[in-house]
Amino acid sequence: MKTRDQEYRELFMAEALEYYDSMSRHLSELERNPNAGPALNELFRLMHNLKANARAMGFTDLGEVAHQLETLFGLIRDKEREFSGALIRVVFAGVDALGSMIRAVGANQPLPDATALLHNLDLVVRGEAPILEEEEAAETEEESNRKMELSDLVYIQVKKLDNLLNLVGELVIDRDRIMTLAQELDNPALLATAQHLFRISDDLQYSVMDARLVGVGVLLNKFPRVVRDVASAEDKEVKLTLSGQDVQIDRNILQIITDALLHLVRNAVSHGLETTENRLKAGKPPIGELTLSAMTERDDVLLQVRDDGRGIDTEAVRRKAIERGLITAKAAPALDEQAVWALLFEPGFSMAQQVTDISGRGVGLDVVKLALDSLGGQLRVDSELGVGTTFTLVLPTSIAVKGALLVEVNERPYAIPLMHTDTVLALHPGQISIVGGVMVTYLHEQSVPLVPLRQLLHDEGDEPLPSAHKSDIEGTQHVLVVNYNSRRLGLIVDRFIRQQNIVIKPLSKPLDTIDLFGGVTLLGSGQVCLVLDVPALSRLFLTKRP
Amino acid sequence: MAETTPSLTSSKTERAKPTERVQLIVFRLGDEDYGIRIEQVKEVTVTPEVARMPKTPLFIKGIANLRGDIIAIIDLEERFRLRPEGRPVPERSYTVAVEADDYTLGLMVREVPRPFTLPLSQIEPAPEFVQDSSTRDKYLEGIAKLPEGGIIIVLDMRKLLTPSEVMRLPGKMASS
Repeated sequence: MKTRDQEYRELFMAEALEYYDSMSRHLSELERNPNAGPALNELFRLMHNLKANARAMGFTDLGEVAHQLETLFGLIRDKEREFSGALIRVVFAGVDALGSMIRAVGANQPLPDATALLHNLDLVVRGEAPILEEEEAAETEEESNRKMELSDLVYIQVKKLDNLLNLVGELVIDRDRIMTLAQELDNPALLATAQHLFRISDDLQYSVMDARLVGVGVLLNKFPRVVRDVASAEDKEVKLTLSGQDVQIDRNILQIITDALLHLVRNAVSHGLETTENRLKAGKPPIGELTLSAMTERDDVLLQVRDDGRGIDTEAVRRKAIERGLITAKAAPALDEQAVWALLFEPGFSMAQQVTDISGRGVGLDVVKLALDSLGGQLRVDSELGVGTTFTLVLPTSIAVKGALLVEVNERPYAIPLMHTDTVLALHPGQISIVGGVMVTYLHEQSVPLVPLRQLLHDEGDEPLPSAHKSDIEGTQHVLVVNYNSRRLGLIVDRFIRQQNIVIKPLSKPLDTIDLFGGVTLLGSGQVCLVLDVPALSRLFLTKRP
Repeated sequence: MAETTPSLTSSKTERAKPTERVQLIVFRLGDEDYGIRIEQVKEVTVTPEVARMPKTPLFIKGIANLRGDIIAIIDLEERFRLRPEGRPVPERSYTVAVEADDYTLGLMVREVPRPFTLPLSQIEPAPEFVQDSSTRDKYLEGIAKLPEGGIIIVLDMRKLLTPSEVMRLPGKMASS
């Protein structure tokens, strides 16, 4: 835990030092012009933020000094006090004290005593004369040197990092283009330079991505409080275990899934875990176990929410889904557990309020799915009735660069993010059967529907796809099996081109309304390549299947 | 109708009048001349390689890479149904990149667009009545009558470029 404490301390320090610098600057301005409104507002705001941060970190005295100064600046702003005379000296002494306290925090030393200062501040706030020593001793050289210290950390807006990442993305595309050209021209000098450029831009890309990474802990560590609040509201006893806080992930990804994770955790506590009484009845330990863990798997980050609660009542979900019209009563019995659980995350399903009483799951879980879809992430559900439920969010480490498989349909390339691909198959006509007009193959004993990507993309209108016939299947079929919401779908393509890292650019208006495409990428040749959105493709197939 | 093509020289000789002048980028759609105010035009270029985008109306030719920006390329002849039957889109076409509030759109035209300056007073507001059923009248700023005969139909890009307008399907396809 020490490293995490250290990390927070560093963050606190970086912010506090920046606040301190701004305070000194604004204070000098205020001294020149006691009515400088913006400077006053800024000082008020800085004090407020510093107070909040200091209190959150448990630096009570530091928080108290900042609080008094905040009050004082508030009074000055409201024209109840004037920035003059003895007040100025107290304020400067106060800000100096903040500086030495912040430095003490940084050096891991006890905070200097602030009793006299706090007393003076209190007097000034109440409008009384402060007790000032005759003349403060001149500052030692060491003290004035300290005021010149610069922080080792740079605070940077995420927006700037976003911009940097976009630029690097462009650079990588151009780099690939130059590399292709160099190979075509077969000029050794150009090739050597291109290879050098390749390495440098690779390093650059890595560095920029690395600069955006934060520990998952910054999010996970907010959960003990959330769990405590929900648990006490529900009158349950919950023991929360966190692990993998040091797993690194892009800051924006963490931001996007914050709500989703919050939902899952709240859900787990209020619906997944039973009351103490019910747990005892079921022969379980009285205290519910909730585990939030992060781990890496290949290039992905897995975030897991596991409870040892009652589990998902698959049959109740199945009934509810029929009631909600998400599946037909005829199709329902054929769905396996995974397919039924996947229904929990359908928007239509979560509208059902009562379901929480039956199955314990379902309110607003589509939020989770939406967040994951926007990232190109995946959701895995694992549950056993009476034993517990585990939700696993599979997230990319970084937003901008994604592995993708390039396929060709009608002589045009399309990219499909690897996040959603299961496997590729080359099927003989004999391995494909027709069930109800849909081509189907068997993969690990499970049936997977097949559809020509050409039909999904190019058939206009809302009519169902034409029924497949055995006679239509000629020669080896190249199939890419994609996976969305635990449903697998085999896309028949003309050929596979290659696997490659792509930088996805969002589609600009007015084409951004077509959800079939997650964006565009430029290939090394400069060719425009559409990125397919697997969730949208799967939905399209479901609505148009014959 | 080709002989009514306005020429730059004739417009320059009229510059004596101290009136407000408008610069247009003029191009042909069907058999008529259309103009866009030059300040709404970002650039004119040979149409780059266009990738057809499935699930979009046919008049959206697709998307293209214009100096790193991915923009939609639309064919106004098809949009307004101005292309005479049997006339194919030429191999080499030009794209007028026009700027909407927050995005750029490419208009594909068959001939090199040319600049044209005329007094603002020559542009008459579009007539209220609709002479044919095509939807383009909604997007007209006005019609410029040229002294030597012929007209330029001045389009108002800001009205044309709202995303809902761009995506609207022409004619009978609107129901699908």
